[in-house]
Amino acid sequence: MRNKTRLSDILLNGFVYLATSLSVLALGLIFFYVFTEGKDLLSLDLIRGNYHSRNYVATLPQSSNDSFNLQPTEQTFAIERFGLILEQSENLAGDSVIRVVYVAEDSPFSQLVLQETGNEVVSLKEGMIMMRIAYENHPTSLTSRGAAAMAADLNDPDRVVREVMFAQVGGGIRGSIITTVYLIGLTLMMALPLGVLSAIFFNEFAPRNMITKTMRTFTETLTGVPSIIFGLLGITVFVPLTIRITPASGSNLIAGAMTLAVILLPTIIRTTEEALKVVPADHRFASLALGANKTQTVFKVVLPQAIPGILTATFLGIGRIIGESAALIFVLGAAIKDSVNIYQPSTSLAVHIWAMMTDEPANVALSSTIAIIILMIVLVMNLSIKGVVSLMIKKGRA
Amino acid sequence: MEPIIKVENLDLYYDKFQALKKISLEIPQNKVTALIGPSGCGKSTFLRCLNRMNDLIEGMRMDGTILFHGEHSESSAYDVIGLRKKVGMVFQRPNPFPMSIFDNVAFGPRQQGEKNKQVLKEIMEKSLKQAALWDEVSDRLSESATKLSGGQQQRLCIARAIAMEPEVILMDEPTSALDPLATQRIEDLIEELKKNYTIIIVTHSMQQAARISDKTAFFLMGEVIEYGNTADIFANPNDKRTEDYITGRFG
Amino acid sequence: MGSKSLSRVDRITYFLLTIVGLISASFIVFISIFIALKGVLPFLTDNLGLGSVSLFKFLTQTVWLNGPTFVSTAYGAGFLIVNTLYIAFLSLLISFPIGVLTALFIAKIAPKKIAGILRTIIELLSAIPSIVYGLVGVGFFLPIIYSLARSFGYSSSGGSGTLATVFVLALMSIPTITSISEVSIRSVDQSIEHASLALGATFTQTRFKITLLAAKSGIFSGAILAIGRSLGEATAVSLVAGNARSGPTFGLFDITSTITSTMLTGLKETQGIDYDIRFSLGIVLMVVILLTNMILNYIKKKVGNVHA
Repeated sequence: MRNKTRLSDILLNGFVYLATSLSVLALGLIFFYVFTEGKDLLSLDLIRGNYHSRNYVATLPQSSNDSFNLQPTEQTFAIERFGLILEQSENLAGDSVIRVVYVAEDSPFSQLVLQETGNEVVSLKEGMIMMRIAYENHPTSLTSRGAAAMAADLNDPDRVVREVMFAQVGGGIRGSIITTVYLIGLTLMMALPLGVLSAIFFNEFAPRNMITKTMRTFTETLTGVPSIIFGLLGITVFVPLTIRITPASGSNLIAGAMTLAVILLPTIIRTTEEALKVVPADHRFASLALGANKTQTVFKVVLPQAIPGILTATFLGIGRIIGESAALIFVLGAAIKDSVNIYQPSTSLAVHIWAMMTDEPANVALSSTIAIIILMIVLVMNLSIKGVVSLMIKKGRA
Repeated sequence: MEPIIKVENLDLYYDKFQALKKISLEIPQNKVTALIGPSGCGKSTFLRCLNRMNDLIEGMRMDGTILFHGEHSESSAYDVIGLRKKVGMVFQRPNPFPMSIFDNVAFGPRQQGEKNKQVLKEIMEKSLKQAALWDEVSDRLSESATKLSGGQQQRLCIARAIAMEPEVILMDEPTSALDPLATQRIEDLIEELKKNYTIIIVTHSMQQAARISDKTAFFLMGEVIEYGNTADIFANPNDKRTEDYITGRFG
Repeated sequence: MGSKSLSRVDRITYFLLTIVGLISASFIVFISIFIALKGVLPFLTDNLGLGSVSLFKFLTQTVWLNGPTFVSTAYGAGFLIVNTLYIAFLSLLISFPIGVLTALFIAKIAPKKIAGILRTIIELLSAIPSIVYGLVGVGFFLPIIYSLARSFGYSSSGGSGTLATVFVLALMSIPTITSISEVSIRSVDQSIEHASLALGATFTQTRFKITLLAAKSGIFSGAILAIGRSLGEATAVSLVAGNARSGPTFGLFDITSTITSTMLTGLKETQGIDYDIRFSLGIVLMVVILLTNMILNYIKKKVGNVHA
């Protein structure tokens, strides 16, 4: 009998250890996968760059015979005649391309004229891709012939440049970062006052009756509503509302922020209320006894003590805003934009991932890079909450 | 008769604090031994040494010997599970498991691998009868144990301990959470149980010790000040401190 | 807090705060009313000449827009309901034991330091946005499931389908179940655990037979919350489900679709039945979640009340 007990104990304990390892493994798996897939693309260029690539065809109005003084390295090719340095490189797809490494300030290439319009001035910038340069009466310099040949052609004083074709590489996420930052700012601007004041109402002012109880139940019910349903609320209420009172004409960032504000509301109310509850009743009595009215007591004595709670709610909220996707797809759309306007559709980082993953073929690498950024922010938010809490405990002891 | 439990030179520490100092006691079989003394004197700690429940406390250290049937029950090689089967325990607050009355009593035997429903039923009925609870609950055995009254719960906990057929039952202030009537019933029960079991009871109430016990040990600051027949201790305490305590001058 | 003791300033504050409180409480009402109003349109109007959708057919049919023409009868959501419940149930089957046992380990077995680390890990897992789970589902699970299916001689659609969805949802549910179970396991009265040990039960027997039993109400709450989230999860599911247009799907390697994943498809329309029908699906989703919650809470009460 004892042996049987021992055996079943070992078995049950085995299950416990197995389950725990699986849970830990899950986190490991997520971080490991996202980092191995996404780390290669992580760079400042990605954060600053446009998502959509753009090709330019331009002419060179001023021809120059100045000789620029350049210092190329062994792998790069200098064009002294125009003040450019080129490099043989590869794009994300692995094709060989000619990349611009340096453009001198007074280079004629920083004053190109777009052929399309004939008057718009564009400048060649570092990091752009040089695709093709056509000359009067001479064969064209092509990507396929390499950077060295293109540099040699350009340095040839006989050649007159007729047309330049170059491209701005895409795959950057600047637009989505800006949208996310806007969303965080706008959402918190709406959700924090509404949530904190509601918490004050429920905890300090509301009479204890059925109506208050019902109102409380109503706000708490929001917690269980799936985010896709908030999306529906957004397109039926907030999008039409913003179309009416702002220049927006369809899905837009303000409506997205409003929707997110409703999503955050129950969390902010609950967290703030918990912080209000731990403020000792004596503090309220002491303040009232000093002749302060209730409004002064609540806003000058009680609320300041709840700031750590409000801070926690803010961090939780930022995490939620960054991670939210379903509701925003409805209200803000899933079209990735490079220039963000609060009256226009755009994508947050999370929706950016969704848009790329539902595309054919899915861009797993860039999605993982964005996921790294999201995970890092979520991690920082979590650590901040822990920091606030431990600070609170320390303060409480002191 | 040979004592069932023999404790010699027992020291016990919680980290640096010494909770028991050189305790030596012999517990006679089929008698009720009462442990009395003011709060924090070490009487409950001592009780919990006898079924090694103190093992659960971190930082606990023990020196000395506790002989159970002449064997070193304090040594780490001793089978703790086996010890706890032979030395049952009833706690201060009634603590029935959140399951039916039947399942509560059958819990111990089931964990030992007893699956036969008929056998379990017999054990259950016998234990409940011995704990004087059978008449009150025999028609609602499948009801939740947590719905019983406090006194009934405590008798159920006694039945649960009896179901393991122990030799010794440790009781840690079993009536402190009960009303006088329920206390009375438990005391009657203890009187009945000592025919079959050795009972060691920690109590705050000197009257209770005087009423039900055969032997009494007076604990103070982790030491046994006096140990002897209950009648002697209450009538002629040898030590001034014992006298002060039982006459209610401190404690 | 009688209003008699309030000064004039306080009365104004009270009035303004009441309005704020009412606004906060009104959103759920807005959600219910607006979605209901929009969601019944396909059943009541003739949908710009397409004819009205029959509610009965909508709830029972097994094909979603999978025909040669767009007609009002092409919207059958019955299989979506079945798929959604089936997938949520299967994912709970995986996440429940793992989540609860992890909670048991954290609350009762692990040394303090390790328990603290594990708690942080669980917190982090629950803070990870669902889209990231979806991404890992696509990048990591799909290829594995694809080759797994192949080794069974089964050709799956790149790995998308029931199993992938179940895995992603299970992974997402574990932290929810663990954190709620852990709190309730930790708060189990130590005295009954001691009673079990004093009866000669081993630590393991005590943990499984007494601790988990005493914590069952909290554990059940965790499971209810997790299943609610699984039913409502949208983006992660839409990435791995495969978006089947008919069903129900029971095969693990077959493509599937849920109520939410279907709501995310066909987003281009901004009016007409294709737009309104999403609100009908929204109503269906809310009803499914509410009913599931009610049934599970009823079971919880029944099971919990027997001996607690």
